[in-house]
Amino acid sequence: MSWQLGLARLAALVGRDLQRPARHAGGGERLWSAGSATLERLLRLDADALATVHACRRTFDAAAEVAALRKIGVGWVPIGDRDYPPALAEIPDPPFGLFTCGAPLAVTSHGNPPVVAIVGARRATAPGLRFARTLAAELAERGAVILSGLALGIDAEAHEGALTADRVTIAVLGSGVDVIHPRRNTTLRHRIHAGGTLVSEYWPGTTPAPWRFPARNRIVAGMADAVVVVEAGERSGALITADFALEQGRPVLAVPGAPGAAASVGCNALLRAGAAMCESAGDVVAEIPAGAWRPERPHTQTAPDGLDGTIYELLCREPLRIEELAIRASGDAAAIAGALARLEVGGLVFRGQGQRFWASPLRGAA
Amino acid sequence: MVAHLVSPALLGLAAATVQVEADLRPGLPAFAVVGLPDTAVQEARERVRSGIANQAYGLPRGRIVVNLAPADLRKAGPQYDLPIALSLLAATKQLDGRALAGVGAVGELALDGSLRPVAGVLAMAEHAARSRWRRFVVPAPNAAEAALVRGIDIVPVTGLRHAVDTLEGRAAVDVPNVDPQALLSAGSQANAPDLGEVRGQLVARRALEVAAAGGHSLLMIGPPGAGKTMLARRLPAVLPPLDVDEALTLTRIHSVAGLLPHGQPMVAQRPFRAPHHTISAVGLIGGGRTPQPGEVTLAHLGVLFLDEVPAFAPAALDALRQPLEEGCIDITRGMVTARFPARPLLICAGNPCPCGFDGDPRRRCTCPPGRQEAYRARISGPVVDRLDLQIDVPRLDSEDIVGTAVSSEATSAVRARVQSARRYAAERGQHVINADLTPAQVREACRLDDDGRSLLARAIDRHGLSARAHDRLLRVGRTIADLAGVERVGSEHLAEALQYRTSGLARPE
Repeated sequence: MSWQLGLARLAALVGRDLQRPARHAGGGERLWSAGSATLERLLRLDADALATVHACRRTFDAAAEVAALRKIGVGWVPIGDRDYPPALAEIPDPPFGLFTCGAPLAVTSHGNPPVVAIVGARRATAPGLRFARTLAAELAERGAVILSGLALGIDAEAHEGALTADRVTIAVLGSGVDVIHPRRNTTLRHRIHAGGTLVSEYWPGTTPAPWRFPARNRIVAGMADAVVVVEAGERSGALITADFALEQGRPVLAVPGAPGAAASVGCNALLRAGAAMCESAGDVVAEIPAGAWRPERPHTQTAPDGLDGTIYELLCREPLRIEELAIRASGDAAAIAGALARLEVGGLVFRGQGQRFWASPLRGAA
Repeated sequence: MVAHLVSPALLGLAAATVQVEADLRPGLPAFAVVGLPDTAVQEARERVRSGIANQAYGLPRGRIVVNLAPADLRKAGPQYDLPIALSLLAATKQLDGRALAGVGAVGELALDGSLRPVAGVLAMAEHAARSRWRRFVVPAPNAAEAALVRGIDIVPVTGLRHAVDTLEGRAAVDVPNVDPQALLSAGSQANAPDLGEVRGQLVARRALEVAAAGGHSLLMIGPPGAGKTMLARRLPAVLPPLDVDEALTLTRIHSVAGLLPHGQPMVAQRPFRAPHHTISAVGLIGGGRTPQPGEVTLAHLGVLFLDEVPAFAPAALDALRQPLEEGCIDITRGMVTARFPARPLLICAGNPCPCGFDGDPRRRCTCPPGRQEAYRARISGPVVDRLDLQIDVPRLDSEDIVGTAVSSEATSAVRARVQSARRYAAERGQHVINADLTPAQVREACRLDDDGRSLLARAIDRHGLSARAHDRLLRVGRTIADLAGVERVGSEHLAEALQYRTSGLARPE
């Protein structure tokens, strides 16, 4: 069973996706052992490249490669392996194998937890980011493994949410598992490495390329029991993940946005097309009835009173800037500044784009 | 025949005595100035020659040597014209040499022999008084400034002949009578822009009040046109009025920098300095071959406003660290070290993002993700650490402005509260502004009740405050409690301080 690793190596060598050639050859194993003429036809390579490919196939020593990978802390789970996610094996074009970094996949799938992919736009709004984080945290608390793509924005918040709930999270990368991309998620990446798993179908060291991200999204959808799209614009990559999920027969949930809200056009289109509505963790739980869910822990936050309550109510209606609040609430800037700070410390109010303050719904309230 | 008198040389804000000597020798016609003169002093030869001739005096043909002692001190500027001319007139017996005994002089000559004002006269007159010079001759336009100093005979002169006549006792000495206190009260409020002209911006106004009361530096983040500059310009008048000592210090600084407005002998208002963001480190903190004060010194006791602060060169902002921490700046050039005071209230302003429109009600922000953070990271580090208060200054919709029922308070009302807060701090037995409290003093001055402690603990938990941020929060809380006139820093004061803390550059968690 060394052809999987061999094909991953070949893909890195020729710098392209081998799924389609493998399909044409009648399977990955056949592609790996194909004769020179077939290989030339399928890969459409020039003589030099072909020579390299041949040399690679001749000298390839899978056991030695696996040992070398292990030395740099990278695990290898080929298709057909016990640890290979069974759901992923069933999708069209499953990856030949997965490189992993951090906890082994077997550990994360121990006890067969529900796997929820939370995806969305990189350029997200403050409430979108906030929702992604609390949703991930609540689902993780109830036993789900949170899956996402370690992109900026919603993806990063989903991972953060799972990590703050002290649960494992899996990041599927569009580059080698040891490549740090995007740079701004470096710390997050290290934390996932320590408390979760980084996964990629690409040979370590592979740099990100635009075409690798849609391919990555098929793995995200393929590993998940359900896909939640938190915020997606008109042409967001998260919609590609949703398409894969539909193709693969996974439930797709979308978080509704206000009519015409640019950040949620994609989500609203998904809802119109029949995706399930996601307003809370409970909606996701309902979509995966067979999952091993833990009971919900009761949370009760009490509604603030006095000036804090007035401000909270104003913010529940619409996000406002502190100046607008000062005009609407009472005019005493000092008192309002203090009340906002108290609400913020209590986690009921947070600030986001445009210097606005947003209310966070009360947890456990009816 | 050698004739001599003295003249002051500026070393930063202090002065040294320079002996000016002139000697005439038979020989080929020549006019040499020795004693490390700079170009302006070298050129004094031409001004002195023309000035003497045009005032109907004469210079003999022959070798003229003017020596400026001590020979190892660099002499700069046109201020030696008058002492050189006077020493030459005495050397040629056109002026009685005895009239020059114990006389100091300073002034730039015009070609017609009349006198032009020079910079730094206050510091020079103080030096003259300390050195017990008998008389100090200054150009008439500088007379009022020199007269601020007690204990020295000021001799204001309009030209070379007037100087000779006055020194020989043929013309009356007409010293203007100046009263620093009267100048101060007359000039303190004139033409200052008033806070009453700012509509809305309630939060920013409150932040200005807190900044003024505790001397806290302030960062304002808001889109273009939100009124950041307008607010900052009104801050100097919100600060307590200057006392005479402070006004004299400011006058000394601004005079040395040549920035004293014509016809105004004393700085009566707190300065407002807003250097452009292309300024160099030297421009900001001072420097030059003869050390000159930089913007941080020119804003001493007033407001240093750095607009578009992310656009400033990082090196220039970094150079601000020492003056902001120590309240003064030492500049060493060659053999001269000058110490300038530098205790401005630092106000920084910036756009929320590179395109400037994040949070604008009318225009959409077009910055890609990440660019905003990169832009804000440009001001991170030591300077941001110094910014006690950070606020958002949103651009207001016109209906918000029109809908503001509360009419804007005037500067005088806010200043009254600032003054009473500072008085209250003094009654508590504290003699520095809250912004300058050391960590040990902070713990002493800001005792919290249980509510306050629990709020602080939760805030540290949620916002991940560093030890430094924690102290800053307490200092601002102390100021807010001072404004309220209460001994103990309560949780409501702390909460308000927290609001000014986590805003601006702090990322939403």
